[in-house]
Amino acid sequence: MIPLLETDALVKDYMIGGEILHAVNGVSLAIQRGEFVAIMGASGSGKSTFMNMIGCLDTPTSGTLRLDGIDTNSLSSDELAEIRNRKIGFVFQQFNLLPRTSALDNVAVPLIYAGAGRAERQQRARAKLEAMGLGDRLENSPAKLSGGQQQRVAIARALVTEPLMLLADEPTGALDTQTSNDIMGIFQGLNAEGITVVLVTHEPDIADYAERRILFRDGKVIEDEPVRNRRSPAS
Amino acid sequence: MIARLWRSLAGWGINVAIALTALRVNLMRSILTTLGVMIGVFSVILAVAIGAGAQVSVTESIGALGANMAIVVPEPDSDGPRRTTDRGRLTERDIKAIAKQVPGITATAPQLRTRVQLVAAGRNATTEVIGATPDYAIVSNVNTDEGRFIEQSDVNASSRVAVIGQTVATRLFGTYDPVGETVRINRVPFRIVGLLESKGSSFGNDNDDLVIVPLGTLRQRLLDTPAQGPDDIHIAFVGFDDEPSLIAGQKETKKILRERYRVAKGKINPFTVRTTTEIAEVTGEATQIFQALLVAIASISLLVGGIGIMNIMLVSVTERTREIGLRMALGAKRADIRNQFLVEAAVLCVIGGGVGLALAKVAALAFVAYADFPAPIGFGVAVGAILFSAVIGLAFGGWPAIRASRLSPIEALRSE
Repeated sequence: MIPLLETDALVKDYMIGGEILHAVNGVSLAIQRGEFVAIMGASGSGKSTFMNMIGCLDTPTSGTLRLDGIDTNSLSSDELAEIRNRKIGFVFQQFNLLPRTSALDNVAVPLIYAGAGRAERQQRARAKLEAMGLGDRLENSPAKLSGGQQQRVAIARALVTEPLMLLADEPTGALDTQTSNDIMGIFQGLNAEGITVVLVTHEPDIADYAERRILFRDGKVIEDEPVRNRRSPAS
Repeated sequence: MIARLWRSLAGWGINVAIALTALRVNLMRSILTTLGVMIGVFSVILAVAIGAGAQVSVTESIGALGANMAIVVPEPDSDGPRRTTDRGRLTERDIKAIAKQVPGITATAPQLRTRVQLVAAGRNATTEVIGATPDYAIVSNVNTDEGRFIEQSDVNASSRVAVIGQTVATRLFGTYDPVGETVRINRVPFRIVGLLESKGSSFGNDNDDLVIVPLGTLRQRLLDTPAQGPDDIHIAFVGFDDEPSLIAGQKETKKILRERYRVAKGKINPFTVRTTTEIAEVTGEATQIFQALLVAIASISLLVGGIGIMNIMLVSVTERTREIGLRMALGAKRADIRNQFLVEAAVLCVIGGGVGLALAKVAALAFVAYADFPAPIGFGVAVGAILFSAVIGLAFGGWPAIRASRLSPIEALRSE
């Protein structure tokens, strides 16, 4: 079976002050379907740039990126938008929910761009929120939800189009320890149901929830190995 | 096919919902922005309505003058160079000759006119008096509300009888019936025999501010500077059956007058013969220019309103860069982002246009009620105004919307 994600000599350069900065400098790796991967590294290590590229938010300077067997280099911006919509679910550090908009409508946003009708959007968004334990918070706006609840709304939104992969960028960065553990438990549960999870973090504790750890430094992968003492929320 | 169309329509519906939410969130700003378009649409519609009203009142004024009529005046032809030595004359005999020789004439109305002082019942007024013959009523389409018009016997006997207009009657007698009363015109007592039907006003002139007396009576008793000859007149109206005979009659009348005054070839006419059709054309053109000017000035305010929309849309795009990035990450295509902001601008403009239209309608009704000036707003103008507002929104919202859609998703997401 082809890997979900495969990169070959992936490079991303930035021009800063007339000098070329190799943010990602030749990364070749594969992520299989159903994996739970933590991408680690200090800030400036290239882990976020790498994540943006595998999330089809950014395009590589050179090298290839194959997602679900599709070479993304050849895709137009609209086709990339479609891939983000159908195959990838994003979870952000700052939740990125639309203010003054109900949880239900927030979760339904990706379905708008998928072209789903109103009734279908409502029904699917409701189902995902209920699965996240927010069945009684459907009409609450983000301001009326706790940080943990907001992140669960964001996870529901990431899942609503039934993507192949969840991309979580420092998903616990704005949460306290207890809530962080709860959220990581949710990711583990989702992964157990079969969805691929790629987590970007700089906290080793959080990375220990994953089953594989990839360490970035200076734009390169310097470590790629299974997590030995894998955590679960109870521990 | 139908499913696809429905889906694209539904997509726009969602954009409208997103736009309304965004506008509600910044309610005060939305209202202020809309104000610009509102004032613009208001002034353009009002300008169109006033222009149309002017057209209507011109048409009515020409109608009040009398349709299919030629006006003969003894003055140098305004088409040629003016020379004082060519100062013309016109006599009752000329008019009789024209009536006899030109085909298609219904009636002729030779007149003398002068300004006079009226005194009656202790009140006085200044007005224009017309010395006329009974046919004046036919040519000018004049009727009496009460009493009678000038009759041939009055003219023959040079009787001191007068028919007065509504304005004069009100000024001198108030609501009291003037028929049978005596009015002193330049100290000469006249018996009032009739009250004219109102003809309203045209070009700002009150058509009811006049007195009509028999032609000869005016000549003998009221003229300050005596006419050059015993049957000289100031002006004559010549009524025709229809427009073709009017056009032919104008040429024929000029020819006859040239012969009678022995105007040499190449010399300009010492008289002018103008038709109501010509007058209608000239004034019609003038009102069209007037209307175009009004609309042009009003359009400037609409343009300013449009620039206001563009300004606020640019602010909105900048403020919501992060939201744009998020929507892109969640799968919004460039067209989705563009349409979202286009619809937002169009909604702002259509709301502004709708309110502007309603206010213009109120103002137009006020014009009719208080200034007695028609300012019609047709259905087409109303629909056009709303559509035009939407176009303004699309035109001025277009650039900000396209800018929003061209943002890179990752840079938009990172912005703070």
